[in-house]
Amino acid sequence: MSAKPKVAFFDFTSCEGCQLTVIDSLQTHPEILDVIDIVCFREAMSEKGDDYQIAFIEGSCTRPSDEPVMQAIRDRAELVVALGACAHLGGINAIRNRFDLDDVRQYVYGDKAEWYETYQARPIKAVIPIDAVLPGCPIDRREFVAALKALLQGRAIQIPDYPVCVECKLKENICVYLRGKTCLGPITRAGCDAICPTYGDGCEGCRGLIPDPNIDSLKQILSEHGLNPDETLAKMTLFLNYQTMEREAADDDQENG
Amino acid sequence: MSFKVIPKVALPEWIDHLCTGYRVVGPKPLHGQHIFSDIQSAVELDLGYPTTVIPPKKYLLPQREDLIRFKSDGNQIHVEEVIETKPTVVLGIHTCDLHAIQLLDRVFYQGFSDQHYRAHRENTYLVSIECLQPCIPQSFCKSMGTLSVTDGFDLHLTDIGDDYAVDIETEKGAALLDGFSAVRDVTDEEYRLFNRVVSEKWARFPLRLDFDITELPSLLSVSYESKLWDELGERCLACGMCTNVCPTCYCFNVTDEVDFTLSAGKRIRIWDSCQLDKFATVSGGHNFRSSRAHRQRHRFFRKGKYQMDAYGLLGCVGCGRCGQACLADIKIVDTLNDLYHRHANNREQERLL
Repeated sequence: MSAKPKVAFFDFTSCEGCQLTVIDSLQTHPEILDVIDIVCFREAMSEKGDDYQIAFIEGSCTRPSDEPVMQAIRDRAELVVALGACAHLGGINAIRNRFDLDDVRQYVYGDKAEWYETYQARPIKAVIPIDAVLPGCPIDRREFVAALKALLQGRAIQIPDYPVCVECKLKENICVYLRGKTCLGPITRAGCDAICPTYGDGCEGCRGLIPDPNIDSLKQILSEHGLNPDETLAKMTLFLNYQTMEREAADDDQENG
Repeated sequence: MSFKVIPKVALPEWIDHLCTGYRVVGPKPLHGQHIFSDIQSAVELDLGYPTTVIPPKKYLLPQREDLIRFKSDGNQIHVEEVIETKPTVVLGIHTCDLHAIQLLDRVFYQGFSDQHYRAHRENTYLVSIECLQPCIPQSFCKSMGTLSVTDGFDLHLTDIGDDYAVDIETEKGAALLDGFSAVRDVTDEEYRLFNRVVSEKWARFPLRLDFDITELPSLLSVSYESKLWDELGERCLACGMCTNVCPTCYCFNVTDEVDFTLSAGKRIRIWDSCQLDKFATVSGGHNFRSSRAHRQRHRFFRKGKYQMDAYGLLGCVGCGRCGQACLADIKIVDTLNDLYHRHANNREQERLL
């Protein structure tokens, strides 16, 4: 076998919980360290190397100064993997994209608002080309482990293209709608083993939309289950705001022309 | 084979007796619904359950199952088959689900029989129960002809008040009663009571289809271009719940998982669904059922025509689980009745031509 691939972890605007999940998976799968060389991982070690083949990036791009840093990672790495909802979707950071940014800065930083250069939060694929995504808030440990194996085999990382309902039903969970709650499981990408519905809570969509989601039908169902349009919008813009705004823009384009 | 009686007061003793020699599973309540699950004593069991989230087929075709283990030593790949099964008694199977197992048997035994299904099936003891009341509003077993069974079970229970009448169909069924002293011969009066109970139940069940089920395959054959499929496609979430709760669906995907040596691993199969976006995507990326409307149509044709063509049984047993699970309220009964009222005339015209 060839030398162990060198792997680096980076973070932008995020809670760094996905990297904690990586550390967690190193505890449950210490053999990972036999097959990769981690050269940079601020949350877990002091050493910093800038020679790596695979870069995992957590966090979204939220200010102009993030862009050259991301670009430098892209230039060095052969493969870039977005780690978690912030890197994948802009995450909850992108909630602010629906509001006036001056107001947002004012709200968060008060009279120091002008010190900060924050702009609309974006997934990293809006800044640099990426090779794969590990969705979720936080990422799923088993999915991270499976992704590493795929990369080591030289195969593409496979993530589910079906909704959370599939995993939920296979576990024989009682549908949270039947328990009087609402859930974004029917339009959200699986891979989390339906962890929130398993514990009785509705899915919030942290893993992003499935390909070709039937959002209109789900909105109708949410309304039948008592959600008003504001509550539905709030659900669709917690983790999904970047994707929702993309879809709104596409609809506008279609209507205008 | 023979006909016996188990007093209800002796049910706990029978369950304890079964638990000494078998894995025992049956319907248990969970958050207002029921699931088939392992039971250790009769107090956990609810034989009066309406329906379960997933049918008992999961004991014959588990949601996720290891098929083989493999290991490469550099020169050669060593493959070892994995069949994990233990003698399992499934208690309280409704007759609709038993009909479904008869279809699964045909599917998995025909041609190259499926060794994993076969191993589970041969190690599974089917104890069905006569349904005396309609279970859920979505069920339509009477219309589908699945409200009763004459065979396919090992034991069949009927609640006759203080006792269960037990129809012992097979040697396997008889074995479940070996050494259980409370089981006794049926009296003439109990037999009359049994006959009354099973004949009186029929009036309680509604006929919910507006046409005779034997007409279903021909109805579908004139409905392929129906606008109804597009209407279903508008509502369908493509979440796969309908197929994952279906007692007759059996599609699965097969994938390999390796360990970090990258030279050893296992091959697993996991339930799949024709309702999912990528189910019919083939090499090269073409998806020959890319719209939800086409996938729903495919599902109805599987249930109402293709299974009949291939296996001589309808692919729907009227359990109603899909209608209960579907958030978009797509129900087989409503859909078939709608098709009938829209297209039955087309069929008449075709016949005249």
